[in-house]
Amino acid sequence: MKVQRIVSSTLIYLISIIALVGFIFPFVLLIINSFKDNGEILTSPFALPSSWSFDQFVEVIVAMNFMVTFKNTFLITSISTLLIVIFSAMAAYHMVRKPTKYNKLFFTILVASMVIPFQTLMIPLIYIYGAKLQLIDAIPIPLLIFFYIGFGSALSIFIFHGFIKSIPVEIEEAARIDGCNTIQTFFIIVFPMLRPIAVTVAILNVLWIWNDYLLPSLVLNNEAVYTMPVMMKVFNGTYMNNWELLIPAILLTVLPILILYMISQRSVINGVMQGSIK
Amino acid sequence: MKLMKALKRTAMIGMTGALAFSLVACSGKTEEKASDNNAGSKSDSPVSIIVTNGKGEIDAQFKEAAKAFMDANPDIKVEVNSTAVGDTLNVFDKLTASGKVVTLAMFEPYAALNKYKDVGIDLSNEKWVAETTSALTNAEGQVVGFPFAVEGMGLVYNQKVMDKAVGGTFDPFTINTQDELKELLDKVKATEGVKAPVAYQTEAWSVGNHYSSLFLNQVEDPATLVNDLKAGSVDLAGNDIWNGYYNTLELLTSEEYNEFGKRPIGQYYDAAHLAVGKGESAILFNGNWAYDSLKAVAGDTFGFMPVAVDNNPDNPVNNKIAVGPTQVLVVNKKASEAEQAAAKKFLDWIVFDEAGQDFVVNKSQVISAFKNNPNTVTNPLGIAIADAIGKDRTMHFTTNFINAADWPTTVGPEVQKLIAKQSSKEDLAKYMENYFKNQQ
Amino acid sequence: MTHRKKNLANMGNSLLFLGPTTVFFTLTVLIPFIYGLYITFNRMATPVDPMVFAGLENYVNAVKDTKFWESLWLTLRFVVATVFFVNLVGFGLAYLVTSGIRIQNSLRTAYFTPNLIGGLVLGYIWQFIFVQTLPSLGEKLGIEWLELGWLGDPTMAFWSLVIVTIWQTSGYMMIIFIAGLVSIPKDLMEAARIDGAGPFRRLINVTIPLMIPSFVVTIFLSLKNAFMVYDLNFSLTKGGPFGSTEMVSMHVVNKAFVEANYGTGQAEGIILFIIVAIVTGIQVYSSKKMEVEA
Repeated sequence: MKVQRIVSSTLIYLISIIALVGFIFPFVLLIINSFKDNGEILTSPFALPSSWSFDQFVEVIVAMNFMVTFKNTFLITSISTLLIVIFSAMAAYHMVRKPTKYNKLFFTILVASMVIPFQTLMIPLIYIYGAKLQLIDAIPIPLLIFFYIGFGSALSIFIFHGFIKSIPVEIEEAARIDGCNTIQTFFIIVFPMLRPIAVTVAILNVLWIWNDYLLPSLVLNNEAVYTMPVMMKVFNGTYMNNWELLIPAILLTVLPILILYMISQRSVINGVMQGSIK
Repeated sequence: MKLMKALKRTAMIGMTGALAFSLVACSGKTEEKASDNNAGSKSDSPVSIIVTNGKGEIDAQFKEAAKAFMDANPDIKVEVNSTAVGDTLNVFDKLTASGKVVTLAMFEPYAALNKYKDVGIDLSNEKWVAETTSALTNAEGQVVGFPFAVEGMGLVYNQKVMDKAVGGTFDPFTINTQDELKELLDKVKATEGVKAPVAYQTEAWSVGNHYSSLFLNQVEDPATLVNDLKAGSVDLAGNDIWNGYYNTLELLTSEEYNEFGKRPIGQYYDAAHLAVGKGESAILFNGNWAYDSLKAVAGDTFGFMPVAVDNNPDNPVNNKIAVGPTQVLVVNKKASEAEQAAAKKFLDWIVFDEAGQDFVVNKSQVISAFKNNPNTVTNPLGIAIADAIGKDRTMHFTTNFINAADWPTTVGPEVQKLIAKQSSKEDLAKYMENYFKNQQ
Repeated sequence: MTHRKKNLANMGNSLLFLGPTTVFFTLTVLIPFIYGLYITFNRMATPVDPMVFAGLENYVNAVKDTKFWESLWLTLRFVVATVFFVNLVGFGLAYLVTSGIRIQNSLRTAYFTPNLIGGLVLGYIWQFIFVQTLPSLGEKLGIEWLELGWLGDPTMAFWSLVIVTIWQTSGYMMIIFIAGLVSIPKDLMEAARIDGAGPFRRLINVTIPLMIPSFVVTIFLSLKNAFMVYDLNFSLTKGGPFGSTEMVSMHVVNKAFVEANYGTGQAEGIILFIIVAIVTGIQVYSSKKMEVEA
């Protein structure tokens, strides 16, 4: 029995490590190549850089107007994600607990909307909000946040929907007997129980919004409001990309998410562990 | 409980309020915007112009130029929008669809005369027309396009390897027959350090838009041949020059000479330029922009040689490289008069102002189409083009006569099939004939 | 009286819980979609041309476009290959990183990193691998079929796309699976163990049935991603060699924006939407049913 356990845990370790190498090497490549110039990137992409200078990072930070673009990206991502998580959790809760005909239909439409090819919405969006309503120039950032909530709701509701189903109604009924109304029940009783999935939904939305190029590239026409992925086009060429600046730029864009992900993942696990100790 | 109810009510009121507020805010902004536009066209207060830049790689230089221009002309505001690789919707269409009027738009010549033929105003009376031979004229003979960049394409070679192979200074214009080209390839192949004489990336836009339009140069005015093709009166399979180009292409991509000969189609752009840059190979087909990738490797010099298609040393196409304006600026009809005037002023600034001349040639390394520009580019492929212009060894940049927008997804893949031996020249001839016939 | 009051309160609740989502969704997705549908009944070469009513012309052109159907068939094969592998690998990874081994936190982060790199750079990195690294590996080890660049052969280029997709999205699916796995009550597992169920039995009889809500989501997402694949297609193979890996989204984009057949491209986009909506609709409906039974 003991031997078997050792063998199986060794096997788990072995598989984990092999997978680890496979999954992490692009990130390692990104890091080592961010210190190289174009020549070195092209000739020896897998070698360590000949020198570890931060000149390129400095150049990128200046060229990207980093403080401003970071602030824009942060603002857009955090506000959109926060509102998506709250509104979607509320909507999903309502749909699960009140499965009326209208709610079922709405849910179906939401799910279907996720498979609309975005390319078919591009022209209508900029025509309606640009040419007709003139909002693209007037309030680009609020408009973009507005769009993200609109486009992000469907998937988030869809994910919440399945998990809310698995929460027993009995707890809510008990709360109601204690005198809570629907809103209290939701925010005090239900929402905390959704924590693991809420964090997951938040991660998925942050990841999408932070890295998104297509939608902001349609709405943001002015460098002062650019997000980081849009700003990166500064390093693109017609035939070839300026890799020596593009790669550090990508690394700088990606790092905040990676850190956020590490922190929030721990919080998911901790949350669950505490739950199970009780 | 009461508290909760109150809270709920407040929340609801708050939401309605916010909605109402945002509506008010919107309409206010719109009005402001509208009055802004009126003011612009009526009085002398600052005019704003929107410029699109089709050369994404000089985005930073272009914006700096706009700033310099604005400093010199405080009454004009220039907003530059550049294209980026992988943009689904091009920047002109995007801005236009969102209700903006692009004042000065950069197009490829074919697009300016076809897809966007209704955009431009007549620029025939501009001062700069006298300084260039590359201004774009429409069917009515009006000048509609300001030539922003002159570019060239041909067989790019690594001078160092070539010198070694021929034992002396290599002169690109000595290779004016297919036999000489083959002999040269053999010499290069035998040169020390060379893995394969050719490293051609064979991407669809390269073998399509660029290489496969070259045969149009067999007549004085490629437009007439295009018209014949559209009318269906050209037999490509029986056309010697057309066949010659594909014979040479087969030679260049063959297993014998091509680095990637065993599987000539792939994503080899970086690998090919790397090989020629490092001198492991000596030749590829591309344009002057290739230098950006070649220079990534070494300080070597590079040049252009013609693509020889037959064994007649007097055949003009065997002695010339393709050079022409690849991007033109067009002033939009829909812009207000004040905006058009400002755009014209910007064009004059590019041609006649020292800072403008410096921006184009020194800063952006673009070959100027204007005689009066005293600067010269330092990029060796640019120098090679200037040299060819000086020696009168240039022919039309034939990509300007075809719909370059759709060739990468239509004709390009068909040429790739030929290279990969998945189809024959007859198949390709038939495909191209049909393609042109359906252009009307 | 009280009945009416209750109705009113219910309506108030509905408005509060569904109102914001309804407003945002209608304004950003529904209305533009309907406008997009309207466009397909008009003739316009470029998105900025004035519209001319054209009836069903665009749909007729779309149905006649053989390349569109070829790309759809290719996409369908891509869907089958990726949905299976992405879910298998994603679930496997989630299982690994919740199995209680000491380095699981670091692993969880590591497996997720491919999601952080997208677009151009992703294609660039993998081009290096398929065009240079694998062939040089093949040369050294004398493996003949590895010696040539993968992206020049239609079959190998197709599998390159599948491999990169698995690599890129299984970490994403992993975090959805993790949320499901950690939500399984510990006492249930304990009970199963006491009843003498081995690890495999527990996986099949306890874990997987309880994970159905996760699978509904991940299968849906991988289906949708595979049908809609564009970025990777563009950055890795550009549809090549000779158009053999042009997936349906890329075809739609090329039709509408590159070849300037905007109306037809938009119509093909709508047809694609209908097909994918039907496929995913069946998937979600049938698995939601399982969810209820479980």
